Amino acid sequence: MSAVVASARRSRSSLTLWLGLLLVGLHVAVALLTLVWLPYDPTALTGGRLAPPSLEHWAGTDRLGRDFFTQIMIGSRIALIVGISAVAIGGLIGVTLGVLAAFATRLLDDALAATLDILIAFPTLLIAMLVVAASDTASLGTAVLALGIALSAIVARLTRILAKRVLLMDYITAARTSGTSWLGIVFQHVLPNIWPTLSVNFALQFGLAVIAEASLSYLGLGAPPPNASWGRLLQEAQGTVYTAPIGAIAPGIALVSLVIGVNLLADGLRDIGDPTRRVSR
Amino acid sequence: MVPLLDIKNLNLAVDGKPLVSDLSFAIAPGERLGLIGESGSGKSLTAMAATGLLPRAIKASGSVVLGGQQVIGAPDRVLNGLRGMVAAFVFQEPLTALDPLLRVAQQVAEPLQRRARRDGRELTGSLLNREVLALLEQVALPQPERIARSYPHEISGGQRQRVAIAMALACRPQLLIADEPTTALDVTTQAEILKLLDGLVRERGMALLFISHDLPVVAEIVERVVVMKRGIAVEAGPVREVFGAPQHDYTRSLVAAAKAFDDALEGTA
Repeated sequence: MSAVVASARRSRSSLTLWLGLLLVGLHVAVALLTLVWLPYDPTALTGGRLAPPSLEHWAGTDRLGRDFFTQIMIGSRIALIVGISAVAIGGLIGVTLGVLAAFATRLLDDALAATLDILIAFPTLLIAMLVVAASDTASLGTAVLALGIALSAIVARLTRILAKRVLLMDYITAARTSGTSWLGIVFQHVLPNIWPTLSVNFALQFGLAVIAEASLSYLGLGAPPPNASWGRLLQEAQGTVYTAPIGAIAPGIALVSLVIGVNLLADGLRDIGDPTRRVSR
Repeated sequence: MVPLLDIKNLNLAVDGKPLVSDLSFAIAPGERLGLIGESGSGKSLTAMAATGLLPRAIKASGSVVLGGQQVIGAPDRVLNGLRGMVAAFVFQEPLTALDPLLRVAQQVAEPLQRRARRDGRELTGSLLNREVLALLEQVALPQPERIARSYPHEISGGQRQRVAIAMALACRPQLLIADEPTTALDVTTQAEILKLLDGLVRERGMALLFISHDLPVVAEIVERVVVMKRGIAVEAGPVREVFGAPQHDYTRSLVAAAKAFDDALEGTA
């Protein structure tokens, strides 16, 4: 992390990076904090029902009288876990498929490309809902797996196109003429060169995954009730949005701040990762 | 003497459309051969075919023997062993020939280390550093320490081409294939790079396959030429004979064009 911070200090595009680091750092800190400390027991009835924000209850209480801020904090942890795991699954499957397609014979490549195009034609949320529906029980794990699979099609298509462009470069031919192996080319030249674009895309996917999980939970297809997913909190607040608007506003702000933060962070990191965009002294 | 590269009746075609027809030539160890012809005459494809790097859509037939190994139809595993050890490439466009994300030192270190591994020794740390700098010095780069730390976009086109040459030399190949290595450079840099290539090839006793559409450039650096037009070798022989007494109309027009250019220059001088 210190290397990132050091480069941020040097870079002129540091504002986006700092803002992104701040927002994401806040969520990460809160998520870590929930592992060791919470203001209240998330299931304990500690106040009046639908109490407005106060010093004891920063975001008020829900309709059962549980502390709402505690649930938002747990929501941070769930959102981060969902985003990271969904992008990890989608990235792993997507990058592997994309690179394979880029190297494959024409027939296999065409078949893969067509399949991906068809998959992408379905909305991410719809694919995720299908996967969840196909599994027996709705759980956080199923939701994450579903989102990962849905995202992998987008990642695969992007990877395939980026890798193909890199493979046309003379330095790839030069590497091949000097005897670099297939895997050597992938890891030494292709992945590093497509990484700046891919990583920004991963951040977008992370945001998409967080929002999609919230949507799934909102529809009751995500994390089941004891998990305080922001989507579920929003859904619960729906009926009382006029009497206790904080119930919708607080998880909304949490959700938006995390997604914006990740996008800003990715933008800043891209500028650092790409030497041609770095400000030279 | 067994030729290093022996091409016999090479045919290249895409979707049944011929790109190169019945091409034959051989390069002996230490020999310098020029492949000359207009754009699209199949020069570069021939060079790619020599190392088995043709795009998959192009079908090759005939025989290409590189360092004693039949290239056509050979699996990549076999060819990978040949590449670098027997032949290495220098390309036309120096910007795309270098990986934009790696510092010059890393790019040159990669083939150096691979070659060392193949020779059965490990090359790391300060020894590797020294060899990288030595190579950069051999290609006459100024301030090799600074260049070694630079990214490709931070150095000039001529310097990039020198780095690309250093990378090819790092493989210590027996045959250097230079595909229009001076075309993307300005005239003075061209002359410098040519002189450098000429000196290095002589010094190391490497064979050279020099591809160009530029007749005076070719004449300067090679001993024998093959003149290609639309995928067919129309004329071949020692430089002096081919350019001194061209037999084919196409060669004659090339020589005449070069001569007209020279005359024009002298006329204004």
